[in-house]
Amino acid sequence: MPNYLLAAVLANSGKLPSGLLFALVPLLVLVVALDVYCLIDLARAKSVRSAPKIVWAIVILFVSAPIGALIYLFAGRDRDGDTARHDADATRQQASAGRRDPLVSQEPPAARDCPPIVTTIGLTKDYGGAGLFDVDLRVPRGSVYGLVGPNGAGKTTLLSLLSATRRPDRGTISMDIGHNQVAVCPDVPEFDRWLTAAEVVDLARSLVAPGTDCQAVAAALGTAGLADSAGRRVGGFSRGMVQRLGLACALVGAPELLILDEPTSALDPAGRAEMLRLVAAMRGRRTVIFSSHILADVQRIADQVGILRDGRLLYQGATRDLIDTYLEPSWLVRIAGDPAPVAAAMTGRPWATKVEPAGADTIRVDATSVEAGERGIPAALAACGARQVSCEPRAADLESAFLALTGASS
Amino acid sequence: MATATARLARPRMNLWRLEWLRLIRTPRALALGAVFVFFGLLEPVLTRYQSQIFQHVGNGVRISFPPATPAAGVSGYVGELSGTGLIVVVVVAAGAFTFDSRHGLATFLRTRITSFCQLLAPRFTVNAAAAAAGYLLGTLAAWFETDLLIGAPPAGAMLGAMLCGAVYLAYAVAVTALAATIVRGTLGTVGIALGALFLLPIAGVYRPISNWLPSALANAPVDLLNGTHHLSYYLPAFAVTAAAVAASLAIAVLRLRLREI
Repeated sequence: MPNYLLAAVLANSGKLPSGLLFALVPLLVLVVALDVYCLIDLARAKSVRSAPKIVWAIVILFVSAPIGALIYLFAGRDRDGDTARHDADATRQQASAGRRDPLVSQEPPAARDCPPIVTTIGLTKDYGGAGLFDVDLRVPRGSVYGLVGPNGAGKTTLLSLLSATRRPDRGTISMDIGHNQVAVCPDVPEFDRWLTAAEVVDLARSLVAPGTDCQAVAAALGTAGLADSAGRRVGGFSRGMVQRLGLACALVGAPELLILDEPTSALDPAGRAEMLRLVAAMRGRRTVIFSSHILADVQRIADQVGILRDGRLLYQGATRDLIDTYLEPSWLVRIAGDPAPVAAAMTGRPWATKVEPAGADTIRVDATSVEAGERGIPAALAACGARQVSCEPRAADLESAFLALTGASS
Repeated sequence: MATATARLARPRMNLWRLEWLRLIRTPRALALGAVFVFFGLLEPVLTRYQSQIFQHVGNGVRISFPPATPAAGVSGYVGELSGTGLIVVVVVAAGAFTFDSRHGLATFLRTRITSFCQLLAPRFTVNAAAAAAGYLLGTLAAWFETDLLIGAPPAGAMLGAMLCGAVYLAYAVAVTALAATIVRGTLGTVGIALGALFLLPIAGVYRPISNWLPSALANAPVDLLNGTHHLSYYLPAFAVTAAAVAASLAIAVLRLRLREI
């Protein structure tokens, strides 16, 4: 109708009553202003949604005004959508993050024997056969607790119950801290795309630590490697950057307990290493519970580990104990020169269960325990004057322990 | 770091400012204002010149209309309370209330708030205020155009119409908040809210309760302008609407508390 009116006004401007002409001016100004605004916005936009720019220009100009303009505003406008170019920024920020992380302690105190900060008794959430069953969790204060298990094991369900975003069917959860001392970061954090990173973190701060000043926001962004992107809107962030932003939101309130669901799932190798370094550095200052599919990550940073399968907690305790308990420790020792005399010297030792050649300059040594091997091998090498090139644990990792444990229980 | 720190020295974020930014950084405020002002400017023109327009588009067929009155000029606009304007208000409000449709966002909000009142209060207030502001702007535009083309509508009735419209839109926003706790998606929320708002007037055919229903407020502006009823006639509707708003929000809070994500 306005298009028709506009055409009619232009065609009959000399014949129309002066009152009508005067009355139409505000209406036409509104419609034309909206169309012009949309066209300028379209021209300035780096990208648009749903259709190419030329299509949106046609919609704005030729669909009955102002309907075309409104359709563009709701369905086509996307001033933040330039995600791809930020991957390089993310890598750069990962590097810069290493230089400034005032929220993270560099002290590595041991927290293995500390009293628990989280305890669950008989925790059960039944989704008709799947879910979580009779989980007795014990997370020592100050520890980094890695939660591992295959898909569908119940990791996310357990973290959701601890986060209070779901309620258990049975069992109890005891936390030795207040509600606002727990921070949660889901595997795929989401935020309003029209907010800047600083605004998102500041919003989190206002909700969990309203008494803190704005420096906490800058510090959290710096720790997460997003200091240079503080003023940029979240809509233009890559998935890895959004995951970092989720971590910044979790850190800004200086929580005592940090619950991270797959914190490295969206990160590239450099970002993953940086995230692991951040989490590991929190040990002793904060308690971290995190889930991961990547067992090497868990072994690297978690001093406590819980293994879930089919909703049941198969093991929990020190990561080192798990490896020691479920594995027969074995090493590959590489010698400069002939390895045969060294093998002969080790064969008679009480801690050595098996010594055999494993190559031209390498021998395989199996020991009665990890500790016995770690003490015995260097001593034996020194005793026979051998020149050691390398000594690598063979299959002594969490993955092997995990497979041994879950395999034995099947 | 210094740049980031300087940037962060601006006013702090909170859930109220979040809703304000949602309005002004997305097309929501623009859409609300544009739709109501557009119809406010258009309807009086169409009313005044409907004979000429139909003559122009009717291939010579002449249709006679009664002379336009100021009440008729504004009535066309206030009809948007139950039409396009209402749909836009519900769509805009649904976008704010359906935070549970995005798991990551729901986790961010739910694990940080102390109560759901903290979350719903700013969303309801800001959206209801924005809807009312858009409606009032449109009414002022319609008032201006009607005065210019047809004649001055009664000022008392116009103010009464503004009050009724603003209260009805606040009710629509509260219904949308409740609908968002029944389903998670924005489309479903809009459908349920509009369904409830469009179906409620059917109950109004039962005369004894017609002026008690919130939907009576949607039709009140026309009756006020025509002089059919005085504002005091709608006092029961005001009371019921206020109670319905409070009940909708209270039930929404309870349902959100029970909902898992």
